[in-house]
Amino acid sequence: MPNDYINIILADDDEDDRLFFTDAFDELKMNTKVSTFNDGVELMAYLNSDDAILPNVLFLDLNMPLKNGIECLNEIKANNKMSDIAIAIYSTSASEEDIEETFVLGANIYIKKPSSFKQLKKVLSEVVSMNWQYHTNGLNKDNFLMRL
Amino acid sequence: MIRKVFAKSAFFLRIIFVVGLFLILIIGGFTYRHIYNLTDSTKQVVSTYKVNVELEKVISYLKDAENGHRNYILTKDTTYLEPYLSAREKVNESFAELKEIANHGENQEENLKVLSKYIDALFTNFSETSTFISGDETLSEAFKTNFFEEKIIMDSIRQKVNEMIDFENSLLKKHQEQYQSNLKFTPLFLYLVLLITLVLIIISYYKINVDFKNIRLINSQLLIFKEAAVQLEIIGKHGNWVWHIDKEKYTFSDNLYRVLGEKPGSFVPTFENFISFVHPEDKEKFAKDVEDMMKNEDLPFIYYRIVQKDGTIKHIKGYGKLLINNEGEKRIVGNITDISDEIERFLEIEERNLELEKNNAELSEFNYVASHDLQEPLRKIQTFISRLEEKEAKNLSSFGSQYLERIKVSATRMRLLIDDLLQFSRTNKPDKEFVLTNLNELLENAKQDVTETILEKKAIITNDVLPTVLVIPFQVHQLFLNLLSNSLKYSKTAEAPVIKIEYSLINSKDDHNLINVSKSNYHKITFSDNGIGFEQQYAEQIFELFNRLHNKQEYSGTGVGLSICKKIIDNHNGVITAQGEPQVGSIFKIYLPE
Repeated sequence: MPNDYINIILADDDEDDRLFFTDAFDELKMNTKVSTFNDGVELMAYLNSDDAILPNVLFLDLNMPLKNGIECLNEIKANNKMSDIAIAIYSTSASEEDIEETFVLGANIYIKKPSSFKQLKKVLSEVVSMNWQYHTNGLNKDNFLMRL
Repeated sequence: MIRKVFAKSAFFLRIIFVVGLFLILIIGGFTYRHIYNLTDSTKQVVSTYKVNVELEKVISYLKDAENGHRNYILTKDTTYLEPYLSAREKVNESFAELKEIANHGENQEENLKVLSKYIDALFTNFSETSTFISGDETLSEAFKTNFFEEKIIMDSIRQKVNEMIDFENSLLKKHQEQYQSNLKFTPLFLYLVLLITLVLIIISYYKINVDFKNIRLINSQLLIFKEAAVQLEIIGKHGNWVWHIDKEKYTFSDNLYRVLGEKPGSFVPTFENFISFVHPEDKEKFAKDVEDMMKNEDLPFIYYRIVQKDGTIKHIKGYGKLLINNEGEKRIVGNITDISDEIERFLEIEERNLELEKNNAELSEFNYVASHDLQEPLRKIQTFISRLEEKEAKNLSSFGSQYLERIKVSATRMRLLIDDLLQFSRTNKPDKEFVLTNLNELLENAKQDVTETILEKKAIITNDVLPTVLVIPFQVHQLFLNLLSNSLKYSKTAEAPVIKIEYSLINSKDDHNLINVSKSNYHKITFSDNGIGFEQQYAEQIFELFNRLHNKQEYSGTGVGLSICKKIIDNHNGVITAQGEPQVGSIFKIYLPE
């Protein structure tokens, strides 16, 4: 049954980061199904395919080859079918410009990749169990960046 | 001012001239009248005498006639009748004279008529008497009567003539009196008028003299100005030209020739000769500019190049303005300036600026990319360490655990450095927006950020109410945060940190830290603590990047925090100073322009 688990997608070109990400969910044991894509092109090809299962939460790295996170975000928000997907920006940097731009484009939360595995697990569990409806209604530039 | 004085003076002189002219005319008029009167009087006198003489003559002729007549009566010789016969004619001649001259009033005319009648009567009587003689009735009664009548008529004539002469004399006297009275005031009046004219001429002379002196003074000043202008032209590489519109002629100043690389006066100042120096590429535009100047009688700033005979290219800036003098003569006065040095310098600076900008941008980019890209591998190292700690700790020997711990500490420090460096490079970007911000809010936020440390160290922070100032909010927040962190970090181990934040609005003249500042009023905010302090000699150094006064085992700073503070204050055109005393505390003063 597709609704039994939370469908999660990560698009990140860094192999280590994908490994940390899947490991973290493995350890969290949260009834999630995690799929990963190596870049924006792969991600968009999947989302645009007919048999795609749209994720509950999409983790989007910004700095990717071929098609970066901002471009993906643009395409997703422009597409009626996908525009409701909760999008978590998942990036090494937390520069003012990136935060500003992704917020304006309609991302739901901005996560700066933590530097300890323990923190990573904590952040991911919080994000996945987040009430998006509630979060999105009260969303502003101050709480957009997730505080660790 | 001077022009006004001269205008006033010219007006004054004009009035004196008109008044003087008027007075001279009066004098002329009076003199003319006076001479006229004199001639008139003379004529009168002559006429009166002439009348008197004629009258005497008439009497004398009549006497001759009477005499001749009597002689004839006595001798009956007709030769004695000669005077009698000619008398009638002579009397008539005299009467003709008298009629012309005796316009001396109706009275005289009447008298003349009466006289004429008497004379006619006399001659009638004479001829009657003569008939008596020829009839030889000399002693008859009729003759006697006639003879007697003759005497009576003669007496009447005498009386009338005397009357007329008296009248003429009285007339002459009257004229004389009138003339005398006229003559009495005329010299006085003329003298007075002459005196006034003289005074006016003296005033005019004085006035003209004063004006002349002023003109001389102004001329000498003008000479100085002219000399100064010539020198200025040489120093400033200016050249002056004048286009006399009405005469269609140009004049060039000496230095204009020098700007063109020529000897003063070495060629005729014409447009054709000038344009031959203009750079071939600029000729067309220059000709058009000059054409417009002639049409509009005005020349705005124009720029062109000239080529000197030796091939040197000079950049020229030109300007001209219409000048109309008092006579309505139109001229355009213009200047050219050799701005080659300026342009060269400008280009040099421009080039250097571009280079600097490029360098800055590269540095900034490098700084940002370096800190940014360094983060990723470091984060992964840290994550792997955390994985290793979690999963493999029990498999490590005590050495292994110790090494792992060292690696962890180093990685943490590296993260700190990178974070601070990133923060520093962000502070560098100038295009931040200034917003009117309540500094109390920024301070509260900064306190919130260090709540954990405050609680842990039991720190006491007190602050005055801060003002609302035009600042870059996130930077001032960072500033407050860094200053608080600094005080908390370098606190004494044995003593709870006490941080005092004080505020006052001051005048730049009242604070020795505010020398060479642009604004007059400054917000002064002081952060003082009771921490470990520092030697005052390091007060400047602590704001330098990566400068640390303590070893990193004791205190965890990176040496970036205060550099960021300095940078932020610089961005706000403010001033920051540090003051320290070892084991007593440190004071940081920040000044923000009002």
